Amino acid sequence: MSLFLRTARHLAITLVAMPAVLAAQQTGTVRGRVTEIASGQPIISAQVQVAGTTLGAMTGATGEYVIPNVPVGTRTVIARRIGFAEMRRELSIAPGQTAAADFAMTAAAVTLSEVVVTGTASPTTRRALPNQIESIAGEEVGQAPAATAIDQALQGKLVGAVISENSGQPGGGVSIRLRGTNSILGGAEPLYVIDGVIIDNDSEALVSIGANATRGGAALSNRIADLDPADVDRIEVLKGAAAAALYGSRANNGVIQIFTRRGRAGTPQVSASTEYSTGRTPKKYELVEIPIAGLADTAINTTLRVGQAIERYDVQDDVWRTAHSTTNRLSVTGGSGGTTYFLGSSYQREQGIMRKSDYNRLNLRANLTQQLHPRFDVAVRSNFVRSHAEYIPEGEQTQGVMTGIIFTPTSFNPRFDPNTGRYPANPVLTTNALEVLARYEAPEDVTRFVGGAEGTWRLRDDLTVRYVAGVDDYRREARYLQPPRTQGPNFTGSIQNPVQFSRQFNNDLVATHEWEARPQLTLNTGLGFRYTQDNDEVLRAAASDLPPDQTLVGGAVQSASQARTEIRTVGWYVEERFTLANRLYVTAGLNWDASSAFGESERLQMFPRAGVSYVLSEEPFFRERAGSVLSLVRLRAAYGETGGQPPGAYTRFQNFENTSFAGRAGLVSSTTIGNPDLKPERQREWEVGAEVASFQDRAQLELTYYDKRTKDLVLSVPVAPSTGALRQFQNIGVLSNKGVEIALNTINFNRPALTWRSRLTYAANRERVERLATRADTLVSGYLNAVIEGHPVGVFYGGIYAREPNGAIAYHDTTISGRLWRSLPFRARDTVVVQGARTPVLAQRIIGDPNPDFTMSFLNTFELPRNFELSVLFDGRFGNDVANFTRRITEFFGSDKNVEREIRGDTAVGTFARNPTGRINIYEEYIEDGSFIKLREVALTVGLGQALASRLRARAVSIRLAGRNLYTWTDYSGLDPEVNLFSAQTVARGVDFATTPLPRTFTMSLNLTF
Amino acid sequence: MDTTNRATAPGIRTRVARAVAAATLAAVALSATACKLDLDNPNAPTREEIVTNADGIIAVAPGMQGQFAQTIDDYVVTNSLVTDEWGTRSLALISYVSLLTGENFDPGYDIVLTPFSRSYQVILSANTILEGTQNVSLGVATTAGMNALARLFKAMALGMLAQQYQRVPVEITAAGGVPRERAEVLDTVLVLLERARADIANVSDASLAEFRSLALAPGIDLRNTIDAMLARYYLIDGQYAQAIAAADRVNLGVLSELRYPSPTRNPIENLAFQLRYVGGLQSFVNQAEAGDRRPAYWLQTTATTLPANPPDTVLRPLRKFSTPNEAFPLYLPDEMKLIKAEALTRQGPTNYAAAATLINEVRTQTTSAVDEPVAGLPAIPLTSLATEAQLLDQIAYERRYELYMQGLRWEDTRRLGTQRTTTPTFTFLPLPVVECQANPEQPCG
Repeated sequence: MSLFLRTARHLAITLVAMPAVLAAQQTGTVRGRVTEIASGQPIISAQVQVAGTTLGAMTGATGEYVIPNVPVGTRTVIARRIGFAEMRRELSIAPGQTAAADFAMTAAAVTLSEVVVTGTASPTTRRALPNQIESIAGEEVGQAPAATAIDQALQGKLVGAVISENSGQPGGGVSIRLRGTNSILGGAEPLYVIDGVIIDNDSEALVSIGANATRGGAALSNRIADLDPADVDRIEVLKGAAAAALYGSRANNGVIQIFTRRGRAGTPQVSASTEYSTGRTPKKYELVEIPIAGLADTAINTTLRVGQAIERYDVQDDVWRTAHSTTNRLSVTGGSGGTTYFLGSSYQREQGIMRKSDYNRLNLRANLTQQLHPRFDVAVRSNFVRSHAEYIPEGEQTQGVMTGIIFTPTSFNPRFDPNTGRYPANPVLTTNALEVLARYEAPEDVTRFVGGAEGTWRLRDDLTVRYVAGVDDYRREARYLQPPRTQGPNFTGSIQNPVQFSRQFNNDLVATHEWEARPQLTLNTGLGFRYTQDNDEVLRAAASDLPPDQTLVGGAVQSASQARTEIRTVGWYVEERFTLANRLYVTAGLNWDASSAFGESERLQMFPRAGVSYVLSEEPFFRERAGSVLSLVRLRAAYGETGGQPPGAYTRFQNFENTSFAGRAGLVSSTTIGNPDLKPERQREWEVGAEVASFQDRAQLELTYYDKRTKDLVLSVPVAPSTGALRQFQNIGVLSNKGVEIALNTINFNRPALTWRSRLTYAANRERVERLATRADTLVSGYLNAVIEGHPVGVFYGGIYAREPNGAIAYHDTTISGRLWRSLPFRARDTVVVQGARTPVLAQRIIGDPNPDFTMSFLNTFELPRNFELSVLFDGRFGNDVANFTRRITEFFGSDKNVEREIRGDTAVGTFARNPTGRINIYEEYIEDGSFIKLREVALTVGLGQALASRLRARAVSIRLAGRNLYTWTDYSGLDPEVNLFSAQTVARGVDFATTPLPRTFTMSLNLTF
Repeated sequence: MDTTNRATAPGIRTRVARAVAAATLAAVALSATACKLDLDNPNAPTREEIVTNADGIIAVAPGMQGQFAQTIDDYVVTNSLVTDEWGTRSLALISYVSLLTGENFDPGYDIVLTPFSRSYQVILSANTILEGTQNVSLGVATTAGMNALARLFKAMALGMLAQQYQRVPVEITAAGGVPRERAEVLDTVLVLLERARADIANVSDASLAEFRSLALAPGIDLRNTIDAMLARYYLIDGQYAQAIAAADRVNLGVLSELRYPSPTRNPIENLAFQLRYVGGLQSFVNQAEAGDRRPAYWLQTTATTLPANPPDTVLRPLRKFSTPNEAFPLYLPDEMKLIKAEALTRQGPTNYAAAATLINEVRTQTTSAVDEPVAGLPAIPLTSLATEAQLLDQIAYERRYELYMQGLRWEDTRRLGTQRTTTPTFTFLPLPVVECQANPEQPCG
């Protein structure tokens, strides 16, 4: 295409003639104030930009802005703010002079004028985009009450995303699924990018303190938790291949790009805030209280007899606490002479609702931009993070604190025994929960630097070259100390001290060219190159046979190991966008990606995309007939393909593994055969959608339908064992996700006295595993989560009740090991024919689905005069099942409140407790409806008025009262239906097993701007 | 285009711009050169690296011997459970009970898969060594030692396969081999063993020193093991003269064994004591001749019995292999005498007296310089060992007590069928389900 040649020619000419292009130009300054038209109140964080340049500024607390170094001449200045209609003004800029441009903006529910930069080669307004891209304003994230992590702050704000906080322990542990799960063995979390720098969001457990490492090894934290939500300027979210094709082979799970705050020109503006919050568990376990021994009590203490009077000990109050947390932030922004800066710092101390669990984080940020020349800007961004977490073992760990409590009848008193000088051994799990709380240590420290440099060079008015390079470098040190004799008298203690070093580097070079070919036709061309490199190393040191009081690795038996991975990708992309008469936009692009993890024969992969956006309401015929009713109608359709990296960086090789025999080091061939033809998992997605606005832009409806199909899913496929191997990773699986997303934004009331906005969202996704290695395959992950052809990923698959022909559960009397048990339910059996004989085997059925049928959220904000603002966010998930393993255990081990019925004689003995063949194996019993509506956020902000502010020598003062997860409406019987034992694991989801619930938190904060 | 508007002298901005342009170009160039995508795996060597590297090839030898040593329990479990050697405990897997009782059997069980898959893993390692010794020069003696070792272990793995499955592939192919008849498998075993013998026949022990210090696991006596295996498989294959000749070459004064120094662990000990899955059947003790000292060598005959599954049997804890680092013998010296006795018997009445003498040597042994069972029984009068039936009957008895849990009894019941004291619950294991499904040769029809 001659366009590329044109662009290349321009680039060549301009490079040669560069010094002349960069010769000094004369400039002036634009200055002004942005206010809300009805109330006259300042609008904070509005973007003011000089059209056709990257020059711009953001308004401060007083609504004022300054843009220096604007080239002289007639310029259009545009003011934009989410929730308001875009405004433009023409100005004449004279050399060395200041031109004034004030804007009085009108509230609007329409979002089409926002500029989006993620997933497109050149920045573009939303109206030109053929696909749906969510854009979240910084304050929605930065001011989300008691949200310590960005992903947590996004809960309820993204249509089509299922965002779960997997455990209530502080310090992260959030998983995000955009438009369903798109892999089976690969990761399912989106790609995170900060200011163009790809960053790591690892959730690999270095030590097993939640789920066991053998079951996916997901940690209680994920690395997005390191970033301070207050640094966020805005977030753009690409939810599938149609939008994310530019990210090529890493984008199957979508992309979340976070833009951090930039400096705003002018005198230094200092902001300080201090926040205090208090959290409590929303609920406690209801345990057996009646002081009569039951079957479970006699099982742990053979001197007891059923019916005997005993004492009961519920020690939950020794574990739960009211958590007190503080966050202090200080930031300065300002700039002059072509320099702007934002310096931010924050220090957060967060207590967990379980005693001793704790998290603190120091965040330092410096973002600098320097205009070296009116045509050349550089920006340098850096973020240093230091965090420290104290975790408490939980979940399936027998050392888990809540695990210890649910596994033990309340007739056991775990409190410290002054007579023996020890905590008594737990009669079921050996490890005493209170001793774990008192003596175990599971800290994790992260030291991290995320930084990038960006140069933007407007070679000519129509040609821009941008280069971004960045690193994300961190060290994560975990430690897990289990002191001697705490797991029985023969336990010699153990300490693990793994350290992870992670380094990601990426750079992007992109040239964009704009050409007005005809009066009604503009062509935008983009050419790009991308290189990424991920390095990861884990060093593990461990010791056992510890001397007393040993807290670091050292002891009689020591071991160490090391593992390293590196993945590199290279990509090239081209993009072309045609703009016809400002109403029809056609975009097409191609992306070539190569990765070191792909087999050599499959090295280079191509990912195409194309789309069209048509603003019907711009057509004269439409305006005439329907313009008075519908102020905006836009139709869009997009298609795109992306890839996913295969699991493991080196699965393309036939690797040999270390072994040792008879004292000699040896090597054996891995039983997993290398696959030299391994290629990425490939997703194709098409989506169609529309935006319709009415009532003078005061109501906007967004509709999207998408259809994703991910093929070449890498699965571990059995091979004939006579090859000397057992499995091979092959590109074989197919998975589809289809769904709708609806968002309705309205301004219900807009008067000086009150502006009331609402946003109602609805999203439904249907997931289906289309193909596995063999039709009969059932891949089970975690406990019950299975991957079965024809069903969603992760359905619960397990034992069911034997039932009478009429469907009622069948109860029988039976004798087990010489003991008669009356009226017990049994697990159903199937008859299979093996070797000609009919054999009864335990029946397995699909008994539930952790994926929600649909999700909804409802946000209302009320703005009143005197900077009084109230916002209320409801977040709901519907039709998802939860496997309540906590109840399974509390019932069997006789600590559940239900067991009182058995102790009182209301039901047969063994209905719940200690029945070896009873319902403990009938998983159907423990699948519960996990639908919920949470009152996710409530925030009340009150500006304290100019009089008080000036007394404090401040420009503005406000206080804020807020709450998070204040109330949950659910039928789920456990503590919280949102948690998941297996955290961010791809397949194993919706499992509650002694997992810490999300705290109910109230916060109070004071914000000052100087 | 206004590119002609050249500034007369480069100002600071121009210089900055030049520097930036140069830096940008440098960055682009740098990233283009850093784009090497053929990354090696720093954690593990690949097959290509191994078979072209002398140290790599040598390191496969301990790997292969270790694979075989860690597979011993797979052979012994099936042998001992389907015959009358072991019982299972209530803690054990349902598949163990199934082998014992013949009920509820499923060819998808792991116990069906592991003897099969692990044998081929040993064979794959042997092939890697045999391929590597052709590629790289290890010196004449070391090459000979490596080839002999690889062929011995390949033969032992194939031989074990032949005793468990009726038809198996004899060679590894990319997708899965064609299963061969048992006679063909045994022929392959014997060819491999003869070649192994020939490999080192003309190599002196002294020149094999490097091979012994780098590749051969301590405890394994290469020459004796090759001959012992020749004797074992010639007997199974019915080539009696060769069996006798091979057995005669074996030095009965030394053991050849798989050793398990820490952190490795004898897999039988692991099974019986760590996992507590199995124990010896009480009938092994009860059915011994009065005064036979061998049951007490193998089992703890005075310790309390173990709860078994099914519950109507009684189990004895093992005595042999009851500590984690105990060695497992590759063959026992008296096996050679019993092989000769059996081969002589099969050759006809003229050899019956010689056979009876060998049987009595085994029976009357009271001491041994090496760790092996001794019977301490009186000799049987030659008049009572005068017919083929009498001799084979006695050989079957001696083999039962001499070669307990050596993974040989299943084959004995096939060969000494008329003298059975037990009917195995299965004649052979079926091929594993995954082999049936994934092998394109459709080995299961």
